[in-house]
Amino acid sequence: MTRLTALLGIILLALGQATVLFAQAPQSGGTLQQEGFTPIDQLPPQDQLPAAPLLISAYVFVVAVLFVYLFSVARRLASVQQQVSRLEGDIKRGKRA
Amino acid sequence: MRPFLRAAWLVLRKDLTVEVRSLEIALTTLFFAVSAVMVFAFALVKEGQAPEDGAAGILWIAVSFAGTLALGRTFERERQAETLRALLLAPAPRPAIYVGKLLGIVAMLVGTELILVPLVAFLFQAPLFAHPIWLGVVLVSGTLGFSSVGTLFAAMLVRLRSRDVLLPVLLYPITVPVIIAGVRATAALLQPEVEFDVVRFWVALLLTFDVVFVTLALWTFEPLMTD
Amino acid sequence: MAKWFYPVAGLCALMFALSPFVIASAPYESTMGLVQKIFYYHMPAAWLFLIAAVVCGVASVRFLISGAPRQDRVAWAAAELTCLFGLIALVTGPLWARKAWGVWWQWDVRLTASLMGWLVSCAYLLLRRYGGPGSDKLAAGLALFGAANVPFIYISVNYWRTIHPATSVVPTLPFSMGGPLWFCVTAFVLLFVLLMSLRIRLEEQRARLDDLYLSLDE
Repeated sequence: MTRLTALLGIILLALGQATVLFAQAPQSGGTLQQEGFTPIDQLPPQDQLPAAPLLISAYVFVVAVLFVYLFSVARRLASVQQQVSRLEGDIKRGKRA
Repeated sequence: MRPFLRAAWLVLRKDLTVEVRSLEIALTTLFFAVSAVMVFAFALVKEGQAPEDGAAGILWIAVSFAGTLALGRTFERERQAETLRALLLAPAPRPAIYVGKLLGIVAMLVGTELILVPLVAFLFQAPLFAHPIWLGVVLVSGTLGFSSVGTLFAAMLVRLRSRDVLLPVLLYPITVPVIIAGVRATAALLQPEVEFDVVRFWVALLLTFDVVFVTLALWTFEPLMTD
Repeated sequence: MAKWFYPVAGLCALMFALSPFVIASAPYESTMGLVQKIFYYHMPAAWLFLIAAVVCGVASVRFLISGAPRQDRVAWAAAELTCLFGLIALVTGPLWARKAWGVWWQWDVRLTASLMGWLVSCAYLLLRRYGGPGSDKLAAGLALFGAANVPFIYISVNYWRTIHPATSVVPTLPFSMGGPLWFCVTAFVLLFVLLMSLRIRLEEQRARLDDLYLSLDE
């Protein structure tokens, strides 16, 4: 049980680092973005939308959704395992008595 | 083959007899379908003109809404009287019971369509009667496809707690191809110059859908209805 | 928890942590520019959406035939992951399309089929959540019909036009783009395997809990 919690903690931490890295991504993306957009006059009008916000929101969304899902599975698993161990304890004590 | 058809016919006759005596489902379903058409008429008709292909879409939306209502109610009646259990205990092949139920639903929905089609044609100035045979084929094959999935799901949902909510939730995503094909075929029939290639394509798709889904339902009805 | 779980979890976390750098190092696609980089997460998510759906369908059919509870657990776990990865693919896709096509959504065959598949997976989960006892077989039936539905949706929407990039694009990518792509695919596949094993374990523990309660009653 504790090992599992520790493991989930590690995964969450690692994913947390990933979000930090994502936060840096827009800066590098920002500088590169200007290179990518030099021929802006030749692009059709709908391509002249700023791309960075779309990109950042996509990556933030993916990480957030994965986080939430991992957290929900971990919480459900922890609560079920807690109940299992409690019940097993009850049954053992009941048998002894 | 004879006992199978006989059992299916008996189930169908039972459903129709119950229905003819009370007219409960027929009248409520019809009223609901007409109200749905009204709501869409208020929502879509602008300056006396319905949008292009609007009539086809409204007709099929009304049919699928009414179908869900009829499906839920038919099996609710069986559940309240505990007759579904009796039906399943009867020494008849399970698929025959399914076929009987399916035909009952199809008959009911086709009856509703007989009133809906003139109504939609009248309210939306749609030339629905230009090709009555083709329209009949499209409507019957579409209704059969919709009901084949619907009857199976409604029968299985009878035993579950939240069956009323779950039936549309399960039914609509699965029957999307029928609705698409039905609407497209009807819309093609409503054009001033009907392209029969288009109509034939969609009718072929509808018929394939019917065959695949009725076969699948006959195959799964037995394992799904046993505890 | 199986022995392989911890090292794989570590590797997966590391790969996800590195993936922004790998993606940032990939060159720009000539016509779409920066926004094309959504693709590195979008495509693996879309693939896993399909794989999860196939796993769910196969497990459901096997459950209907054999009635083995393990197949049911696999199907449930896969359905939840179908919903998860489908959501990711369906949200990142429009974010890309807004820039590339100028609209958020198109009734293109791939998009429509994905949306319908995602809706079926949601219906599956709603059924498991609110169906109560007896919903397991019905859910398996739903998965079967959902799987049978896919070709019909494809044919019926394909009759309209298709603008989604074809999958044949993938093998033709140069290594500078293909490398990061396959890096992300590997990370997502590892994540899928991990989540799948966690989710199946949850169902196993729930079944164990039910058994314990039953034995307590006796």
